[in-house]
Amino acid sequence: MTALQRPPLRLDLLRVPGLGRLLRWRWGRLFFQSLLLLVAGLIIYDGLTGPQLAPENIATVAAWIHYRGLVMLALLMVGNLFCMSCPFTLPRTVARRFSRRGGRWPRALRNKWPAIGLLFIIFFLYEWLDLWASPLWTAWLAAAYFVAALVLEALFAESPFCKYLCPLGSFNFVASTVSPFQVRERAAEVCRSCEGKDCVNGNERMLGCGTELFVPQIDSNLDCIFCLDCARACPHDNVALALRSPLQEGITASWPRRWDVSLLALVFVFASLSNAFGMVPPVYALLGWLAAHVAFLGEFGSLLLLLATLDLLLPLAVGMAAAALSRHLAASRESLRVVLARHVPALVPLAVAIWFAHYGFHFATGALSIVPVLQNFLLDHGVRWPGAHPNWTLSAILPFRWLFPLQVIVVLAGLLATLYALGEGARREEAGQRLLAGLVPWVVVAVALALIAVWIFSLPMEMRGTNFYSG
Amino acid sequence: MRDARVLPVLLALVLLLGFPTACSRGARTEALPDYQLQLRVLPHPPQVGESTLILSLTDAEGRPVSGARLEIKGDMSHAGMQPVLTEALPGDPGTYKALITWSMAGDWIVTITVKLPDGRRFRRRFDLTVVGG
Repeated sequence: MTALQRPPLRLDLLRVPGLGRLLRWRWGRLFFQSLLLLVAGLIIYDGLTGPQLAPENIATVAAWIHYRGLVMLALLMVGNLFCMSCPFTLPRTVARRFSRRGGRWPRALRNKWPAIGLLFIIFFLYEWLDLWASPLWTAWLAAAYFVAALVLEALFAESPFCKYLCPLGSFNFVASTVSPFQVRERAAEVCRSCEGKDCVNGNERMLGCGTELFVPQIDSNLDCIFCLDCARACPHDNVALALRSPLQEGITASWPRRWDVSLLALVFVFASLSNAFGMVPPVYALLGWLAAHVAFLGEFGSLLLLLATLDLLLPLAVGMAAAALSRHLAASRESLRVVLARHVPALVPLAVAIWFAHYGFHFATGALSIVPVLQNFLLDHGVRWPGAHPNWTLSAILPFRWLFPLQVIVVLAGLLATLYALGEGARREEAGQRLLAGLVPWVVVAVALALIAVWIFSLPMEMRGTNFYSG
Repeated sequence: MRDARVLPVLLALVLLLGFPTACSRGARTEALPDYQLQLRVLPHPPQVGESTLILSLTDAEGRPVSGARLEIKGDMSHAGMQPVLTEALPGDPGTYKALITWSMAGDWIVTITVKLPDGRRFRRRFDLTVVGG
C-alpha cells in the first residue's frame, strides 16, 4: 500500500498532546533508551553478581518474565516500542563517530537469512543453556548484545545489527506486522516535492532512518524499529505514527516476496509452538527417547536435532507443501515463492496470539515477583527502607484458574484473525487468482496450529532442564 | 554533541561488563561449612502434591544439633513462579521434619535457612526434580 493508496490519516500518536511532543523531541528516543539502559545495566550487574537462583535475580525475572510479557503487550497495543527504546543501539551514534562512515553491509547478507539463523540460535541457546534458569548466562547474553551492536555499528554505515541480525529485533519485526500503529507520511504531495529526503538520508541535525526506509514507501512494520528518527529529521513535519488495521499486512501481504522473508515469518509461527512445547511433559519424553536411542548425539546434538526439526525443517516443509497444494487447487501459475509470500503474512496474527498466550502466562503468574526481587537486591546493598523481609509469595496478578481459559480465548481470537485475513485477502485479489480453493491448505495449517497450541497449553507445565545425559 | 553525552554512559557500561563475576555480593548469612545438613524427601522421587522433608543437622564433630530453626523455601528453576514456604518442626535430636506441597512438576531448588541456637545463620540449597503425579 503506497502513499497514493493509503486510507485517510486517522489517529496520529505524534499529534497527541504531550505524548507526541515527547516522541518527536530530539532526545525523545534517548530518554526511553536511557530507561531501558538502566534495566539492562541491572540485568547485567545482578546476573553477574547476584544470587544465582532465577526467581531471586533481576536478570532472569526482568528478562524472562517482564520483558517478554510487556513486549508482547506493547506490540499488540501500539507497536515495536522495544526497538524504539532499545538500549543496545545506544552506541549507534558513538560508533558512527569512529566508523569513519563505515562500509556497506555485504550484499550477500542483505536479507533475512542471517536473522533466521540467529533467531534459531537464540531459541536453541534458550533451551540448551536453560537461560530461563540462569542469571549468569542471561547477563552475558545481554552483554553480548551490547558488544555486537557496538562492533557492527562501528564497522558499517547503516544499521545492519537492527535490520539484518538482531534476533530480538527480528522477532519484533514479524510480530509488529500486526501492530495497530505504523509510520507513514501525513501528506503524500509533501514527500513528492521534498528534495532532501531527510527522513532516510538524515541531515546535519538528525540521523535518517537507520534501516534505510523511505517514509512514503513504508507499507509494513517489517524493518521499522519505531525510532522515529524520520519524524525528527523531516523538515516538513510530515511524518505520522498512524493508527491502522492490525490485519492490514495479513490481508494485503505487502511484504517483499522473498524466500527469506517468508521463512523468517514461518520460523516465527512454528517457534511459537516449539517454545511452549519446551515446557510440557511430552518434550521430556521425546528428549528421553532420543537420549536412549541416539545417545551418541549427546544433549547438544539431540536438542539441536529436535529444535532444527521443529523450528526450521517443519516450517519449511509445511510452508512448501501448503504453497504447492494451494497453487494446485487454485490452478495458479504463480511460483511457489509468490504463493508462499502471499499467504504467510496471514498466519502471523495466530502466531502472535500463541506467543502472547505463552508469554502472557508467565507474566500473569510472575509479574509481582519483581517486588521481592528488587527488595532483596536493595537489602544486599544495605538499603533497608523497603523492609528487611521480602515477601516472596508476591507473584501472580491473575488467578491461576483463569489462565487456561484466557489462553484458549487468545488463541481462538488469533485463529479468527488469521482466517479473516486469509479470506479478505482472497476477496480483494484481482483476476480471481486467489480462489477460495487455494485457501484450503492455509486454513488447515492455521486450524492445526491453533489446536496444537491449545493442546500444549492444556498440559500440565513442567519446568525442567533438558539434560538427560548426566546420569 | 550528542555523542559526547552518550560516551559516559558507554564507559560506565564497559566498566560494568568488566566487573568480575568473582565479586559476588555478600550474603546475609554465614558460610559455616562445618555444619552438615542432609535432606531426605518422602516419597522419593517427589511427586506433585505433598511430600515430607526430613532434615538432619550436625555440627563439625558430627553431633546432632537440636534447637535450631529451619526455614524452607522451594523455588522452581524458572523465574516468576510462586515459591512454596514452610518451616521444619523438630523431631529426634538433630532431626527436623516439614510438609511441603509441590505445585508443579519440574526442577525445584529448595533453600533452607538454618538459624542455630547461638543465633548464627547459614543457608543450604538442594536441587530436586519433582515428577508429575
